[in-house]
Amino acid sequence: MSGPVNDPPPGRQAARQLLGAATLACGADVDLLLEQVADGRGGDRDAHQQQCVHCQAALGEFTTLWSPVTELAAVPVSPPHGLVAAVMTQIRILVRDVWYTLEVTEIGAIRIAARIVAALARDSARMIPGVRVALGRSTQGTIAALTERATLGHHHPHAVVGVLGRTAVVDLAVAVTYQDPVHEVARDIQRQVTATLRDQIGLRSVTVNVTVDDILGDDER
Amino acid sequence: MKAAEVAEPAVGDAYLVTRAQEGYIDAYEILVQRHSAMAYRVALRLTGNHHDAQDVAQEALIAAWENLTRFRAGSSFSTWLYQIVTRRALNKVSRGRPASSLELLPDVADTAAEPAEQAERHLAVDAVTDALLALPFPQRVVIVLHHFEGLSYAEVAAVTGSTEPAVRSHLFRARRALGKTLEEWR
Repeated sequence: MSGPVNDPPPGRQAARQLLGAATLACGADVDLLLEQVADGRGGDRDAHQQQCVHCQAALGEFTTLWSPVTELAAVPVSPPHGLVAAVMTQIRILVRDVWYTLEVTEIGAIRIAARIVAALARDSARMIPGVRVALGRSTQGTIAALTERATLGHHHPHAVVGVLGRTAVVDLAVAVTYQDPVHEVARDIQRQVTATLRDQIGLRSVTVNVTVDDILGDDER
Repeated sequence: MKAAEVAEPAVGDAYLVTRAQEGYIDAYEILVQRHSAMAYRVALRLTGNHHDAQDVAQEALIAAWENLTRFRAGSSFSTWLYQIVTRRALNKVSRGRPASSLELLPDVADTAAEPAEQAERHLAVDAVTDALLALPFPQRVVIVLHHFEGLSYAEVAAVTGSTEPAVRSHLFRARRALGKTLEEWR
């Protein structure tokens, strides 16, 4: 990098000369001027820059030079279709989330993945007024172990815990809106989710554990 | 009971990360929905290749899940994901193939510009893409994170494990290098 640039010639040569210099003839730092333009502050000129032809010329030159960068940065980039699904499929394989409800009929077996049960429960809970977010999971830990023992007779080779036979235990974590009566919202969730799982999946025994773990204001995110 | 509209998740990343750590996979799914575009966008600009970017984004989002227990409460999930994406992108480009600049530009109809003007603008933007990919990777990272993603110097420093003065210094050099390449294209 050379010393100060004096009276820069116009056009390409000017830009090249500017980018090879540390300072302008007025002493202004070239890096700071380029930073000013690149950060979108090229028009915010201080008292010196309002009077200085060197700074004004450099700012103008850098604005032209940098504009394609600003333009490219503004081009929207959409993620490829299916990226989210591909990620989640892989994660479900990692956590071996392949438990099923199972019903054996005279013409074959019906299996419904536990994550479908959890998703239906979650979506059903989200319909309840006052629920801001609902997350469903197949049961784990103590309750799941109890369920497993209780339904051992219906044990499916792929069923580990949670949803077995026509019995399901679903955990829901929910955040509700501030000022809604929490216990009423929670009971509404239990009633609604139980009815949904019975009607849509045909589960006979449904336990819905609701954990209200956040209360949010109207403008909270 | 009157059913309400299905509510959009109205909670922050911290809440979702905590729930995901407890085994609520759909909490993580919401995080993936929120941040997959960023992961792909950054990967695309760092690798310059759609297929590599898709691989990097997918690997990064899965790696984030696998390492969720190591995520520190109180830090930002997006900063953490930026870190994972940039590291994965570095791995990819350091063993990868040459990138095609055209793949950095999605098809965006521009009805306002005349065909000649449009072509000229595309050439200029192509030049930026090539110039960006010609930068050394650390300089490319700071340009992408600061000028394309809008991260502050402090945020770029957090992502790169550096300091604000070091980030600023990298940016000074990167802008000059980018400017010199762009100047040759004018």
